[in-house]
Amino acid sequence: MGHQMAQQISAALRQSIHRIVLVLASFLPGILAFLLAVVVFALIGWGLSALIRRLLIAVRFDERLASREAPGSTGILTEWSPSNSPTVLAQRTIFWLLVLAGVAIGISAFDASYADDARYSIFLLPYVAHIAGAILILLVGTLIARFLARSVLIGAVNAQLQYARFLSLGIKWLVLVLSAAMALDHLQIGGTVVELAFGILFGGIVLTLSLAIGLGSRDLVSRSIEKTMEKPATPRPTEVPSRSDPDTPPRLRHF
Amino acid sequence: MSSSPLTADATQPTAHSESGPTLAPAHRSTAELLICLPALAPDALPHALHAIAAAFPNESVLVASAHAPETPSDFPSLDIIPYASARSDVGWILAAADYASAAQLALEHNARAVILLGGDTAALSAPNALDPTLLRSLFDCLRTKNVDLVLPRFAVGPNDALVNSALLYPLSRALFGADIHFPLPIDAAISARLAQRLGSTTQRLIALNQGSSLLWPVAESAAAGFSVREVSAGSAAPPTPPPPATQADFNALFTSIAGSLFNDIESKSSFWQRARGIYAPSVQPSSPPPIHELAASPEIHSMIETFRLAQDNLQEIWSLVLPPQSRLALKKLSVLSPDVFTMEPDLWARVVYDFALAYHLRTLNRSHLLGAMTPLYFAWVASYLRFVADDPARATHAIELTAAAFENEKSYIVSRWRWPDRFNP
Repeated sequence: MGHQMAQQISAALRQSIHRIVLVLASFLPGILAFLLAVVVFALIGWGLSALIRRLLIAVRFDERLASREAPGSTGILTEWSPSNSPTVLAQRTIFWLLVLAGVAIGISAFDASYADDARYSIFLLPYVAHIAGAILILLVGTLIARFLARSVLIGAVNAQLQYARFLSLGIKWLVLVLSAAMALDHLQIGGTVVELAFGILFGGIVLTLSLAIGLGSRDLVSRSIEKTMEKPATPRPTEVPSRSDPDTPPRLRHF
Repeated sequence: MSSSPLTADATQPTAHSESGPTLAPAHRSTAELLICLPALAPDALPHALHAIAAAFPNESVLVASAHAPETPSDFPSLDIIPYASARSDVGWILAAADYASAAQLALEHNARAVILLGGDTAALSAPNALDPTLLRSLFDCLRTKNVDLVLPRFAVGPNDALVNSALLYPLSRALFGADIHFPLPIDAAISARLAQRLGSTTQRLIALNQGSSLLWPVAESAAAGFSVREVSAGSAAPPTPPPPATQADFNALFTSIAGSLFNDIESKSSFWQRARGIYAPSVQPSSPPPIHELAASPEIHSMIETFRLAQDNLQEIWSLVLPPQSRLALKKLSVLSPDVFTMEPDLWARVVYDFALAYHLRTLNRSHLLGAMTPLYFAWVASYLRFVADDPARATHAIELTAAAFENEKSYIVSRWRWPDRFNP
């Protein structure tokens, strides 16, 4: 009895190992094809980018571009170039374009090796592309959120808004939440739950900001009403008191 | 002759002998002096021409103007030629295209000297807006002292030209060794050879459709080895623009001027790292007087409040730009009461240098950078106003202290510019 049970366990284990090995064996060509495509295209990209770099240096591309730009200022291309060198920008662009092409071809090869297995191709392949798209959305969203948060923070501080940081954080999280929701939607995760949660969260943030600004602006509103009623208010650093008013100190001229 | 406009588009920088069909060509092919007028209202032009005729009774003068006078026979000593002044990004200051146009006209008419007049058009349209004595002084200095660039030094009150006193003059003096109190000129007298030099410098800007950007002729002259002087404008006040109506207007102007200056510093870094400054005798700082007017000066309170708000909120940005020592000093400054609020000139100088370096290194977005600098400028202004509140005559001393601090700290910017990654506590 015991012996028979041991044989059954052993057979079950062998079968499961066999299935795993089969799965791995069917995975392996696809993975190898993917890696091979990426490596080959990376090598081609490296060679081509080195060639382009030499060519651009030979024709003095950076100097020619700089001579077309305003002295002391930099153009958009130079602004976004690593080390302010458009040649390096062109070199890296070509390299990464070829790497991306390698990844795309690798995915295609991976797809081809699974053409007969609907389970994996349906489940895995859309995700590879979708994950890349979602990462891109998150990356761009984070950059935009950071830029807008700083813009709002600096503008609000210079406008003497006491809730500058809160406003800035609000904008930052609005954009981040929006990007996260877009990324999840892109990944087709959560479905209506994400949409619903995003709606609630986004609406909540907007409502909170509205309340905060509304409550925080009470002084502003009251100052505005006071001004309407011709009561003097505290001037901002650049607001200029009138010379005609003898009680006001001498006006400031910044420029 | 009718007073119809000579050119339709005043933003075009060219000197347009072809685009000004309504004016008779100049009688003389050569002139001793060329004067380029800004776009004046037709009824204001005779006042300006009278002032010019009074200033130069014996010289052959060409006047470049956007309009022709209704009665040109009233000015027999002047030849009037068509000219379209450009309008700079900040409005009342001479634009790069103005220098290019003047250079072209000077070349065409073989003028030996050029006087460029800028300023707010509305202010210049007032009678007696042009001072014949100042025009004469500019020309005499240019001719007799063999100078290439002569700029007027206007009389300003303690509350005037604060950006100039805080930034433009100290930086220009420390980095370019030019003791010119208004380095961003509204009016300027230039020699023919400097005009050609500035004209060629601005050609690239015009080709890029950036003729309305600012040009820094003092720095340009210093870097090219031309001599620069200033002459007293007497009691005349500088033709300033209407003050910015809102905080946003101020920020835009401040960003535009400071950004242009930092750009110029960046482009001439190889010069000012080698150049020796004036290094005037060190000015001993004196403690600011106790302030009595502070209670009556809500503007000072407002500026200090803006600085404190920035101290609380902009640490993340300042930490990218300023070293810990400066941030600590600013933190200490922020807790001072308005009665003792004093930003030391050397701290201000280092802060400005750090921002100029961050601008060069693109540590963060440039508009963010200059926006984050505005509250620090307000701190300097508040400190300066406190210093001069008791005695307006102390303004000159305060400005001299600031300029001296910028000179003393020049080694700091040179060192940081060369080795920005070096440990800097």
